[in-house]
Amino acid sequence: MPSTSLALTPGLASFLKSLKTNQIDTSIDNLISLLKRRQIRHSRSCATATAYLLLRVISACRTTDAVKLIERVQSVGRRLVAAQPREMVVGNIVRRVLGLIRDEAEDDREADFNLSEAGSESQPQTPRVPDDASDVPSTRLDGSTARTSLTSMFSLLSHPEPEPSLPGTPSSASPSGRVPGPSKDIRAEVMEGINEIIDELGQVDDQISAYALDHIHSNEIILTHTSSTTVQKFLLKAAAKRRFTVIIAESFPNNHEATHSTVSGASANDEETLSTESFQKPLIAMGITVILIPDSAVFALMSRVNKVILGTHSVLANGGLVAAAGTRVIARAAKVHQTPVVVVSGVYKLSPVYPFDFESLIEYGDASKVIGYEDGDLVDQIDVQNPLYDYVPAELVDLYITNLGGHAPSYLYRIVSDHYRKEDIHF
Amino acid sequence: MAPKKGGGAPKQRNAAEEVEETLQAVVLADTFETRFEPFTLDKPRCLLPLANTPLIEYTFEFLANAGVEEVFLYGGAHSDQLEKYINASKWRASSSPFKQLTFLKSTSTSVGDVMRDLDGKHVITGDFIVLSGDVISNMPIEGALATHRARREADKNAIMTMVLREAGRNHRTKSSSVSPVFVVDPTKDRCLHYEEIDHHAEHSEHGARLNIDTEIIAEHSEIDIRQDLIDCSIDICTPDVLSLWSDSFDYQAPRKQFLFGVLKDYELNGKTIHTYIIKDHYAARARNLKAYDAISKDVISRWTYPLCPDTNLLPGHTYELRKSNLYQEQNVTLARSCIVGRRVVIGQGTSIGEKTTVKNTVLGRNCKIGKNVTLDGAYIWENVVIGDNTIVNQAIVADGAVVGNQCKVESGALLSYGVKIADGITIGEGIRITKSPKEDDEAAPESDPAVVGAGGEGYEFTRDEDSDDEEDDASETSSGLVYNMANLSLSTESISTLSSETSDFAGSRAGSYGTSVSEEEKEDHFVQDAAVSVYDSLRDEVTSDVVQLELVSLRMTANASDNQVRRAVVSAFMKRIGNLMDESQKSASQAVRDIFGTYREIVERSLFDRETAAKPDQVDLLVLLQQDLVTWPKGDTVLLFTAKELYDLELIEEEAYEQWWDDERSSGTEDMRKVRAQTQQFVDWLANAEEEDSDEEEEESDDE
Repeated sequence: MPSTSLALTPGLASFLKSLKTNQIDTSIDNLISLLKRRQIRHSRSCATATAYLLLRVISACRTTDAVKLIERVQSVGRRLVAAQPREMVVGNIVRRVLGLIRDEAEDDREADFNLSEAGSESQPQTPRVPDDASDVPSTRLDGSTARTSLTSMFSLLSHPEPEPSLPGTPSSASPSGRVPGPSKDIRAEVMEGINEIIDELGQVDDQISAYALDHIHSNEIILTHTSSTTVQKFLLKAAAKRRFTVIIAESFPNNHEATHSTVSGASANDEETLSTESFQKPLIAMGITVILIPDSAVFALMSRVNKVILGTHSVLANGGLVAAAGTRVIARAAKVHQTPVVVVSGVYKLSPVYPFDFESLIEYGDASKVIGYEDGDLVDQIDVQNPLYDYVPAELVDLYITNLGGHAPSYLYRIVSDHYRKEDIHF
Repeated sequence: MAPKKGGGAPKQRNAAEEVEETLQAVVLADTFETRFEPFTLDKPRCLLPLANTPLIEYTFEFLANAGVEEVFLYGGAHSDQLEKYINASKWRASSSPFKQLTFLKSTSTSVGDVMRDLDGKHVITGDFIVLSGDVISNMPIEGALATHRARREADKNAIMTMVLREAGRNHRTKSSSVSPVFVVDPTKDRCLHYEEIDHHAEHSEHGARLNIDTEIIAEHSEIDIRQDLIDCSIDICTPDVLSLWSDSFDYQAPRKQFLFGVLKDYELNGKTIHTYIIKDHYAARARNLKAYDAISKDVISRWTYPLCPDTNLLPGHTYELRKSNLYQEQNVTLARSCIVGRRVVIGQGTSIGEKTTVKNTVLGRNCKIGKNVTLDGAYIWENVVIGDNTIVNQAIVADGAVVGNQCKVESGALLSYGVKIADGITIGEGIRITKSPKEDDEAAPESDPAVVGAGGEGYEFTRDEDSDDEEDDASETSSGLVYNMANLSLSTESISTLSSETSDFAGSRAGSYGTSVSEEEKEDHFVQDAAVSVYDSLRDEVTSDVVQLELVSLRMTANASDNQVRRAVVSAFMKRIGNLMDESQKSASQAVRDIFGTYREIVERSLFDRETAAKPDQVDLLVLLQQDLVTWPKGDTVLLFTAKELYDLELIEEEAYEQWWDDERSSGTEDMRKVRAQTQQFVDWLANAEEEDSDEEEEESDDE
């Protein structure tokens, strides 16, 4: 009996299940209400749900016109973002999908153009379709050059569209295989692209942890915070080869239970641990010394710590980040002790938003986590503020490790411009 | 109604197929209490805004969170408004998390009636949640549900689990006048005894005292007596609960009577009721204005997270959270010098004038707050205008109200819809002002210049029974008929829309003459019961509303036809008239006038053919009267007086008399002819006077 009742609660799993059967508009409203009710709340769950939803939106869209497709995705995206503006990954995924559509549309037009020019090999860059925005070709070129100049890992992940479609190699685009005319269906390619985004979301933690051995050395003391799975996997990967000590601040009151269970290895029953994570061995099983400390002890211990590794909720274009409450205190303490601060985060969390008003990015949660609701006198007379997130300014962070490798905070703007098209930043 | 009826039927059948999986919930939109008067005179309680979101939205959010798939919503007073709202809301849209949302109209006048009605419909297939339409909670229900199911697996008699929130000794969200006391066996989470303690002890003769059966203490090694619980009236029930309600006909309130009764009868029926006490998460019920105030504060202070204004539960809301719990929508106009303090919600299109101070306040959409106004602890709903230099403290000002310049609205004052207060008036503490017509008299009462000032609109609203301080209104769950009465007269339903429109199970209501034998027995049973009950009421000189109520309930339980109701009414009335004539030595005319005059409404509500040319119901009534009087010694005289009285009271029209006179049933036998002989003169007179009367239809028509 309990098993059925657990399945009742709506969440990511039930949403993905219902996505297949429901009408598309129903699914959109469904996701909006799930986001509003915070039934889907972690960055990755939000991203996954958004990606799957957009996949459905595009497959259900009965148009082949790229402009209409973009409009449709934009309108859906706006509603999703309005539902929960603080989950920035939703907007990120929408922007990436928009970028995909634009890329495909351009490739398509390019191919047509080549075809109509009767196979002329003349410069594909300059004579674009005249009604196209003037900055489109330039960003595109920026993107492609940046891609080629980076490592192979980077290029493998950062542009999911097939290599032949790149400008400069128009011959391999095989115009003979394409149907001439504007009616060519680009949806298949876009959907393929979205599937690659979904794959990326699934693999991102493993890819990040591949860099673990470069950053964690033997006999180091690592301080971390919350129960972020990205951080845990990162540490686990290093633990396979090296011996070091981990100090975990429990992040009371919003995440301490999850942190405790991560440390002790007791499987937490939340929806996040659906898959492999719940079977994962905790760090202690790998022979790593793990010390759980209250948040207040962070400063006292910081002098002994070699490195601070933090998970994050989202990363902003200026290199700042929004992460679980308490992160800023840790980063600040690390700065005082000149301890390096490393932030591990998937690229999907990287948002092109500049934090002009970072107060508005911070969500305030349930007051009863701080003091008990049953204390009537207190409840009546005080205001309890329970921020769920902290904004950590860029200068407190030394290094970002994403699935593309390590970056300085000041370099993030570049990754932003690689991943998102300028015209989609404020869609 | 018709299209919905069609749509509802196949769905319900669907539901029956997938019995095991769906979780059902019954939402009582009307809790048959009058705590929110005078606002509930105009609007159903669950549509009243709490932090600018209707109460029912919070309840539905809770159900959606709980994964409920089928919802039965029972509307009471103003159910048309509620239905309209629900139909336009997102819960009806295809994206609604509920697979099925059935709106059930009923003329029920208590929770008990609703439960019995529900039992009659056989729509409940498994465990279900019962809650009222004003519950606000962010609690995940799985835990409670799982324990309930596990317990029920083990013991079939564990029929109900109540969800209670622990809240310490003093708490703003707890009711301060009456507190429920739960006696719980903590080892089994079983509720052993329930009682409500009235803190106004001087009102009751035995004071604030708790009576616990000695057996409880003797049998259980450990008991907790708890007064620190907020009863948020979320109950997880098994279908057995419905049959228990049906069995005990007199239960009306879910706690004071049902819970108390079932626990008391444990020896008899062996049913147990359990508690699920939550220590975290939020759960409360806007049971009265005090709770409304407290819950508003809780919502604004984010105890109910994520059900906060900035979640924008309603589509179209654009609240954003600013520092110090200020929630502001877009397009708000704030004057440069105004001060907006802590815990404020401001809706779209609202403007606040210069030097105005606002704190602890909820402002709805499109309000105009003048200059130099002080608002503290006020709940200002939509489209309210408040003049310059006015002070409003801890008051509720409903939609469209206008408060003039230099006014002072003191704490506890309630200004209902559309009330206008002239300049310079002080509204004293706890005064309730409304514009809507009083229950009994049709016409809207005059505005009272002493209260609202010259040029103002509205009059002071007083309840006859409990006109004590409203903010702290007494008496927990409806003390029986007092509250039900109010709802009955508020309800615009006529008896003709009996039970519920969506019921496919109730069978056909009218024209069940040719029924099978077993049903005939049932009918007779009903007639007898109803007649006895009505007669008793008449003898005790209960008001006609109460009699009507009883009749309706009886009728709904037995699914009786109109004819049967009339038969019961006639036999009861005639018996009483005979009684009066014998005992009090009243003359026949006097007795007839007394009874029919006082209880006119009951007769009226059993006749449905006023608009049609043929008058079968009225004729039927007369025939029944005639039949009843056949055996009487002075039957002919009584019949004459009755006929005249019915005509004077405009219950029966001339045409009906004619038709009756010509009806073969009335002249079939010798006895029948004899008994109606005296009435001949009356009928003749009628036939002559007929030309003059023509305005009758008009007067009658507004009764339907």
